[in-house]
Amino acid sequence: MTGLNATLSLASQALSAESGALATTNNNISNVNTPGYSREVVDLSADALNGNGQNQESGVSYNGFTSVRDEVLQIGIQQKTADASSLNAQSTLWNQIQSSFSSTTGSISTSFSGLFSAISTLSTAPSDAGARQSAFSAAGNLVDAFHEAAAALNDAQTQADSGVSGLVANINQLSTQIASLDQQLASAQASGQDGGSIEDQRDELTTQLAGLVGITSTSTQTTPSVSTAGNSPLVVGSTAYALQVTEGSDGTTHVLDAQGKDITASITGGALGGALTMRDAEIPQVSGALDTLATQFAAAMNAAQTQGFDASGNQGTAMFTLPTTGSAAAGISLALTSASGLVLSSDGSSGSSGNVSNLIAVQTSALPSGQSPGATYSDYVESIGDAAASVSSRSTATNLALTQLTTQQASESGVSIDEETTNLLRFQQAYTAAAKVVSTVNDLYSTLMNMGVVTS
Amino acid sequence: MRVDPDLYTSVNASIQQSEQSLQTAMTQLSSGKRVAIPSDDPLAFANNLESVAASAAVDTYTKNGDAVLAQAQIADSALSSVVTTLTEAVSLGTEGGNGTLTSAQRSSLAQQVQGLLAAVVSQANTTSNGNALFAGTAGVAVPFVADPSSSTGYAYQGNSNSNAAEVGEALSVAINIPGDQIFTSASGNVLGSLQSMVVALQSGSSSDIASATSAVSGAIAHVDQIRAMYGNTVNQLTTENDYLSQESVSLTSQQDSLVGIDTATAATNLTQAQTAQSAVLAMAAKILPTSLLNYLQN
Repeated sequence: MTGLNATLSLASQALSAESGALATTNNNISNVNTPGYSREVVDLSADALNGNGQNQESGVSYNGFTSVRDEVLQIGIQQKTADASSLNAQSTLWNQIQSSFSSTTGSISTSFSGLFSAISTLSTAPSDAGARQSAFSAAGNLVDAFHEAAAALNDAQTQADSGVSGLVANINQLSTQIASLDQQLASAQASGQDGGSIEDQRDELTTQLAGLVGITSTSTQTTPSVSTAGNSPLVVGSTAYALQVTEGSDGTTHVLDAQGKDITASITGGALGGALTMRDAEIPQVSGALDTLATQFAAAMNAAQTQGFDASGNQGTAMFTLPTTGSAAAGISLALTSASGLVLSSDGSSGSSGNVSNLIAVQTSALPSGQSPGATYSDYVESIGDAAASVSSRSTATNLALTQLTTQQASESGVSIDEETTNLLRFQQAYTAAAKVVSTVNDLYSTLMNMGVVTS
Repeated sequence: MRVDPDLYTSVNASIQQSEQSLQTAMTQLSSGKRVAIPSDDPLAFANNLESVAASAAVDTYTKNGDAVLAQAQIADSALSSVVTTLTEAVSLGTEGGNGTLTSAQRSSLAQQVQGLLAAVVSQANTTSNGNALFAGTAGVAVPFVADPSSSTGYAYQGNSNSNAAEVGEALSVAINIPGDQIFTSASGNVLGSLQSMVVALQSGSSSDIASATSAVSGAIAHVDQIRAMYGNTVNQLTTENDYLSQESVSLTSQQDSLVGIDTATAATNLTQAQTAQSAVLAMAAKILPTSLLNYLQN
């Protein structure tokens, strides 16, 4: 037998539970556009037992709320974010590089053509001073084209390097924020509360951190930690470990972990990983191939020069000078000081064009690397195009996968206005009904109080 | 199953995607190029580079061929004049062989032959763009200069080498024949035979005149042979030029097919992109304003 008091207390429990549920719904609606917010569901339970263990109606109990989130999806999103950011960073630099090799005029390819055309023309008029000057200028143009290509590669490399310090500063800032959230989270969990929006924020920051540097994150353990791919800790518990930067012996920026260990080579994920991959692996390879072409081409032309005589009848000398150290493409220069140094004559007389065939044979002869200079260069541009296209399509694919994961996560954790509106109506109705119970009990009490009182 | 309630993000992504294909179609149509940067189609871009280089080479070969052709024609016309002059000398020699002539008449003939000799030398010193055509590779402006100590009365300043011009890939043609092989050759000494005719006419020896006349006839045969060599060069160049102009056309069309875009395809792509864009926008307009609240308000 339940008394009116018990009924009243049941109704008031219901009122407070429904108003708690309304508050949760309200919070969901408020945060519908908050990045990283996971929808909260209210946690209600029926109290089936009374204090004596007897089965009877004891009302509803409001146990707070739980955020709906999937930790596995979250880890997947972190990994894809790291991959996507790395590929985006690489793609940007590749596009920048390939734009320097897109031009059909003023390129190394057209400069080869220009030089050989000018020399070939001299075979019909070896004594033509104007034509000789044109060939000399064409050789200068080729040197300029090599310099420009080398400078474009160097620019991209410098750009990748200059971003490193800034990225590391951002990483350290995020680590500090995550550590401070971990502290709040620990005290919330110690008092038995759901992490709620603190955990949402932590997930959001961790994903941002993954976009900067590839990470492995363990947030479900008692001591949550975040570390880089090389297993250098960034956050352990509520302590953040700052990465450091230092200038290496090669003049580039190196990344050290909190213990001072150089972890530059192990970072592959995130924007930092992308920049480091381009700076330390991709661009050096591309530059190296250009240097090989410059070196071998210069050697071939120089060899052809020595087979004849210049305009003054002297034994021919080298056309190009290669630097003894550093990039050949950036340091190649014209060894000849004037057009008269071009070696056209095969017999020492000024009207001979017998050496022209030796010079222009370089255009069609294979360099030591296996192909003619023109074919070597076009293969070289093809390899740049291939790399740019491959990174770009991998980036597209990774972004697509990331979008799918994000959609999947949103379908799990995203706030739906329609759903919340429905819940609003549901909890409103329940609240109204519970209030009706209170008012009914009130009526019953009035009836009870007025029993025996004669009313006029 | 619960679905992603956030329509805005996916609608934004769709709009961006359709805008991108619209832009690609527009860029291709306005530039006429399917491959603008290496990553658009790395192989086609690389092949185009080589094709453009081959076009440049063909242009140069064509120009070289034209230059050589012009020189060969000048040389041929000079040698043609030489043959005419020599034929004149033969008739003068035949006239001089007539025993009835007085020494004064023969001396006058000798003077005429001397004049013909000077005319031949002037042809032998023919220049093209300031360069002597018959000086070998020596690069001297005047290959034959008067030299009283020489048996022919002229000294050759050139050399016996010749140049070859690059008129095709791995194809070169000789562009000049050294002056000594034409005018003072052992197999037909033009200058020597004329000089000996002058001497013979002055001496009056009919046998000397006869042998000098036949030597001049021999020189005509020799110069004709040389002309035939120039003729061969001209024929070779004409054939090569035909080939090169075909090659130039086929290279241009190769470049078009490598990096160019078919206008019809480009226009179709543009239309498709426009249709897709309209569809995406219509969809966005339809679904974005929809929510349960719209219906509850009524």
